[in-house]
Amino acid sequence: MRKKKKLSLLQKRSLAGYLFILPWFLGFLVFYVRSLIMTGQFALSRLSIDAVNGGYVLDPVGLENFRYALRVHASFKQVLTTSVMDMLIDVPLVTFFALFMAMLLNKKFPGRGLVRAIFFLPVILNSGAIQAAMELGAMMMNGGVASQAAEVAASAGESMTFSIDYLIDMFVSLGLPAGILGYIVTAVARINDIIAASGVQIILFIAALQSIPGSMYEVARIEGATGYETFWRVTFPMVMPHIITCVVYTIVDSFTGSEVVDLAYSVAFDEFNYGLSSVFSLISTVITCIILVIVCGAIQKRTFYYN
Amino acid sequence: MAEKDTIKRKRRFLHKREKQLNRSMAGNTLLFVLMFICGIFMVLPLVMIVNNALKPLDELYQFPPRIFVRNPTLENFSDLFVLMNDSWIPFSRYILNTIIITGFGMVGHVVVASLAAYPLAKHRFPGKNILFSMVVLSMMFSWTVTQIPQYLIISWMGINNNYLALILPAWSFGMGLYLMKQFMEQLPDSLMESAKLDGATEWHIFWTIVMPNVKPAWLTLAIFQFQQMWGNTGSMFLRDEQLKPLQFALQQITAGGVARAGAAAAVTFIIAAVPIIFFLICQSNILETMTTSGMKD
Repeated sequence: MRKKKKLSLLQKRSLAGYLFILPWFLGFLVFYVRSLIMTGQFALSRLSIDAVNGGYVLDPVGLENFRYALRVHASFKQVLTTSVMDMLIDVPLVTFFALFMAMLLNKKFPGRGLVRAIFFLPVILNSGAIQAAMELGAMMMNGGVASQAAEVAASAGESMTFSIDYLIDMFVSLGLPAGILGYIVTAVARINDIIAASGVQIILFIAALQSIPGSMYEVARIEGATGYETFWRVTFPMVMPHIITCVVYTIVDSFTGSEVVDLAYSVAFDEFNYGLSSVFSLISTVITCIILVIVCGAIQKRTFYYN
Repeated sequence: MAEKDTIKRKRRFLHKREKQLNRSMAGNTLLFVLMFICGIFMVLPLVMIVNNALKPLDELYQFPPRIFVRNPTLENFSDLFVLMNDSWIPFSRYILNTIIITGFGMVGHVVVASLAAYPLAKHRFPGKNILFSMVVLSMMFSWTVTQIPQYLIISWMGINNNYLALILPAWSFGMGLYLMKQFMEQLPDSLMESAKLDGATEWHIFWTIVMPNVKPAWLTLAIFQFQQMWGNTGSMFLRDEQLKPLQFALQQITAGGVARAGAAAAVTFIIAAVPIIFFLICQSNILETMTTSGMKD
């Protein structure tokens, strides 16, 4: 009798759960799952426009598009590798930079809101109309004297590469492994991208830091923990679940803005080869997912869930 | 004797800690300098936008360019105002469209995603993990790549050339669900259990306990979604001029090229200013919430 009642309660609860998910799930099914399936269909066929009846016709061609992408297409594999490498460089740097910034921005100092807004600026300025206007502005500024400016930039570039090469040579001769050096050099070269890419992550981490109960810090202080200990024993474990969120977001963000997507877009809308474009996006999605699973699995093992 | 020793050790310990504190002060200064440098990088485009909006035309074309304005004027804004009054559709219509699309898109997304995230984070039911991995998978697909299927689906539903074409897909983005779930997972179970013991329904628990406690999360999501919706020109789905959002009209002015450089500078300022203001409002609210929330274990 008691057991029966318990079961029905459980069922009731899971029913409530399903009802809560339902509105989101319907939209998800219609807009996303369906478009995923369609992308899969396009990948396995050649799409042509039906001029007589309107709409489109799909000719199934099997794995022809995949074969073309991997064996024949001139730049796909190279672009894919570059995108994945960029992503792998970005993810740890963005995550740690964002956490670091969030901790600084979480401290109390005058003008904090303003400083936070400044670090969120790249996200806001990354909209189509603003980009167009900025380009127009740049065009206006060096329109008549473009050649002169280009010359100046070229000469400046030369001297820059010279000094960086000199530094790299020095480090190599000091015996630093080329792999680590390469990573550092690339990271330094991408520093602006990294700062610009961490706007949302900083906000995520600020929200995460805000949701740590203040009593924990109080206890740590009473027990005489140093700032260093407090960070590693309180702050870090508590924001750990959000590090995964942040990593996932960074991977997704870095991927959706990557060269592979640009390539897929241009293949679809400039060359009208929708099948090939779908293949590009499918392959790169699968690779991103594999990376995501590996990275998240590694972090999840070390994650501590409060409760 | 032994006691004295420990006291001595304690003193030494304390002394050492003081030194460390000093060192961390120096570290703090260094950090703030670093933050300042990074901040300059980020704020420079905004400084340029603000200054460009105030520059008269001759200064906009000056070479070598100056960042700061010499003779600030509001000419660009008055030009923009004249241009707006000349437009075929009354300008208030564009503003109304933007409010509808951005408002419904943002609020709907936050509510729908939070509703779905609550059982995913706090209930146990069959199919939960599969559902969640599907969400993550869907985030991987870039919007640009699925444009064609999206268009086909929108026309299949018959909501082409309608506000709904922009609002409905925004409701079921995977990102919001993912974010809300991560934050709700951190809520202590005991909060919900105590409410359940007091006889609250799931609906009640969600609105009166879960949502207020994850306010930082959904405000973050709101900022994020506002930014997405605000930047949407809707040119793919909206054909009628009466339905197009502000962003579209402003982009048309920017596309005027060299002749409208002044007005374009003013437009850029407006497009950037609104999300920044929204961000500042939301951020200050995030701070207020956390001072009042708390758990006593």
